[in-house]
Amino acid sequence: MRGSTDVRQGTLALMVLKTLEVLGPQHGYGIARRIEQISGDLLTLNQGTLYPVLLKLEQEGAIASEWGASEKNRKARFYRLTRAGRKQLRDETHGWEQTAAIMGRFFTVKAEDLK
Amino acid sequence: MRSLRRFFRRLGSWVETQRAEERLQAEIEEHLALLTAENLGAGLPPAEARRQALLQFGGVEAMKQSYREQRGLPLLDALAQDARYALRRLRMAPAFTAATVLTLALGIGATTAIFTLVHAVLLQSLPVADPAALYRLGRESRCCYTAGYSQEKEFSLVSYDLYRFLRDNTHGFAELAAFPAIEPLFGVRRAGTAEAAQSYPGEFVSGNYFRAFGITAYAGRALIPGDDRPGAPPVAVMSYRLWREAYAGDPSVVGSAFLLDGKPFTVVGVTPPGFFSETLRSTPPDFYLPLNTEPFVEADADLNKYDTHWLNLIGRILPGLAPAAVEAEMRVRLKQWLQAHWNEMSPNDRIRFPEQTLYLVPGGAGITSMRERYEHWLKILMAVTGFVLLIVCANVANLMLVRSLERRRQTALSMALGAQLSRVLRAPLMESVLLSLGGGAAGLAIALAGTRLILNFTFPAVPGLGGVPIDAAPSMPVLWFAFLISLATGVAFGVAPAVMAARVDPIEALRGSGRATARMGGGPRKTLVVLQAALSLVLLSASGLLTAALQKLQNQDLGFELDRRIVIKMNPRLAGYHTAQLPVLYRRIREALAAVPGVASVAICFYSPLTGGGSGSGVWVAGAPPPGPRDRINSSWDRVTAGYFDVIGTPVLEGRGLTNEDTAESRKVAVISEAFARKFFRKQDPIGQHFGRRPELSHEFEVVGVVKDARYREEDLEQPIGPYYFLPEAQAEYERTDLGSLFLKDIVIVSRPGTAVAPAQLRRAMASVDPNLPLVSIHSLREQVSEQFRQQRLIARLTSLFGILSLVLASIGLYGVTAYNASRRSGEMGVRMALGANRGDVVRLVLRGAFGLILGRVAVGAPVDVRGGAISGESIVRHQSV
Repeated sequence: MRGSTDVRQGTLALMVLKTLEVLGPQHGYGIARRIEQISGDLLTLNQGTLYPVLLKLEQEGAIASEWGASEKNRKARFYRLTRAGRKQLRDETHGWEQTAAIMGRFFTVKAEDLK
Repeated sequence: MRSLRRFFRRLGSWVETQRAEERLQAEIEEHLALLTAENLGAGLPPAEARRQALLQFGGVEAMKQSYREQRGLPLLDALAQDARYALRRLRMAPAFTAATVLTLALGIGATTAIFTLVHAVLLQSLPVADPAALYRLGRESRCCYTAGYSQEKEFSLVSYDLYRFLRDNTHGFAELAAFPAIEPLFGVRRAGTAEAAQSYPGEFVSGNYFRAFGITAYAGRALIPGDDRPGAPPVAVMSYRLWREAYAGDPSVVGSAFLLDGKPFTVVGVTPPGFFSETLRSTPPDFYLPLNTEPFVEADADLNKYDTHWLNLIGRILPGLAPAAVEAEMRVRLKQWLQAHWNEMSPNDRIRFPEQTLYLVPGGAGITSMRERYEHWLKILMAVTGFVLLIVCANVANLMLVRSLERRRQTALSMALGAQLSRVLRAPLMESVLLSLGGGAAGLAIALAGTRLILNFTFPAVPGLGGVPIDAAPSMPVLWFAFLISLATGVAFGVAPAVMAARVDPIEALRGSGRATARMGGGPRKTLVVLQAALSLVLLSASGLLTAALQKLQNQDLGFELDRRIVIKMNPRLAGYHTAQLPVLYRRIREALAAVPGVASVAICFYSPLTGGGSGSGVWVAGAPPPGPRDRINSSWDRVTAGYFDVIGTPVLEGRGLTNEDTAESRKVAVISEAFARKFFRKQDPIGQHFGRRPELSHEFEVVGVVKDARYREEDLEQPIGPYYFLPEAQAEYERTDLGSLFLKDIVIVSRPGTAVAPAQLRRAMASVDPNLPLVSIHSLREQVSEQFRQQRLIARLTSLFGILSLVLASIGLYGVTAYNASRRSGEMGVRMALGANRGDVVRLVLRGAFGLILGRVAVGAPVDVRGGAISGESIVRHQSV
């Protein structure tokens, strides 16, 4: 698919954290939907790949999970952001913005600017 | 931090694998259900909706695999798997497993047992505060007294006066403590009770002794400098062991009075458990008394003699000071002290004055007489057990090699199916490590039993006394040692089979399995067998040499008779006898014992032969030129009753022995040994010559007889016998002095040929003289002598045991290799026999291989044996006396 891109290592985790911050506690399906909605066609995502990421984040203590009832009253596992997760999100967002800004400047610079 | 947390989570989830698996399954199901429902809502038929959902979700199994890999610890998982697999394989071969674990347990157990002793005797520091800051006077630990104002090589013992001078004038020490090199036995009784006096070892220590070691009392208080002053009330500190064992930890012991040799002392405190004074010895002191109470307890006190050196020094150096600087300062003080006594010094002392010096050495291990005594033996034993361990490793490696060869086909198959090389390598390694850890665990049990056995043999327990403060139970360093040894052996004998397994060419192995000829492989196994046999023969020849050396020592001409001789040890001092009562006591003892049926004759002496001790004195010969500064004028001596030489069986060579004619009124006489005559009278006829024990008393004794040399001292068993002289008990100066040497300790009895004298009869006879007279022991002179060869015997026996053990192991190894080769070549044999070979040819073929190994062992082993034998022989000769 032209123009679409694979999810870079590590960015998916950040997306998960941001999603949980915006939407509050959410089950895996909900997170996957939200990521797809926001990125639109630009991102192809095997929804299953989300679960290893969720596990990693939970092991790191950035998110926590518990059983709850979904909208259709089914048993579902809900993930929520922890305090450590919030901090991690803040740090990584900052890092990303900085990286993006630096890269942006590199791409916009012209030859005569360097003289 | 985050990754650490993650690791622990993973570790946790590794444990709860099952539940997590279910959870994931449930989440996937839920996700798929939601996706399907969404697709249904979009108007897809149910089957298509489900298919689309699966597509959107992606590969379920691949995701599960990556999920699993993230969850647990795959390496740990694989290891656990390997371990389970190895255990299963080992369970399938119980005979192999049991034999290997037992072999390993013997090797590791023997090494660990010896290491326990090495650690306790050679490596451990005193259980005191900051032992590294402690420094000791003297490079060698000396015993027990030395007189005069010069010492050979170094000043290592000091008098109380010199101690005070050094303590008060050396600035480098936070504390400098003093204590005698000898450890007196006291008859102890709690004041106000009717209990019989028990004898316990005690130690005189300076008042700052406990402070110098940083020891605080377990109960009550430790000694303080204020206790160690002339005229201070006599106080004592009791050992924790005695407090526990004899007084059941009674708190009222602290503060109550005890009679030590009849003198009242107040016990003010109890030492902490584990403290065994500054010297590792078989009888740690049970009482600590201030040095200044020595004249109060001992009639012939040394405290105030300026020129009697009997104290050891250990000090705590001030932080930041170099020991060399303190040593230099002490040397200056020593010279100052000597100069202050210039007028009392003998001419020889003055000549030797310039070379007088002293040395400070690290004292964290305290007085290391035991270390010096046992170091060499322990090193020999450590080397021997190291050999045993090598043999064990070789043996087990051989068994493992055979096993891995049997597994070739399987290994080849799994490699052909794509098994990772690392997993193939790990399997045999895991097996061997598991085996060696099992062997290590069993070895610890063997080590515990072995250490107990050796300790009991070396330091037999005396009822009522604390034994040697070495714990047979393995300490932390010993456990580590055993664990590392196990691991190292496991890897050592596991690597070769692992590498062999990895070198397998799958196709070759699959095709060729079950067929083999003599040419194939077997090199490493044969080498191992040859090596093993060579090592075990080194051990056997060493044990043979040790045993021969021991035989030679034991069978040497001792100069006295062992048959029919019995020695009774007594302690009249403990019963409160005064010197004036002693002649009567000795006479009554001799009469009572002589009346026992079967007793031929009786004599009493201060030291019987090889009893473990002796006394010495200087000798000045009348009419001889005064000895030069380098002349050794010492001789051992003994005080004996009339008829002693007949009783002990030492022939009188010239003149006469000591008889009842030698009385307090007659001229003072002495009987000398051949060595004495050679040393002090050279070519002159010694009979009628005079000598004395002080320069001004060189006419004191007239020599009336010369007896054959007899071995009395145990310190130098294979040196030539030193000079010895004997004084008659009847001429002892009972009224003039209160010398310890007047209290004779050993009664020697010779029974009539063909009769047996029961110890009970002797006890009854002694009780008829005085029921309160403490008898220390009754045993034959033969036992007493063999006691002196205890260590040598132990070493020789242990080495023989290890040698035989290793030979058995090597035989098993040879058998295993031969049997394995024969079984592998059964196909070849079949072909040979089909082609016309008879049974004899086949047997010859197999035996040729085996004898080839034996010849190889001789070729390789003979030089090693000779060398090893030479080394152990040398060490035996050099250190027999240690």
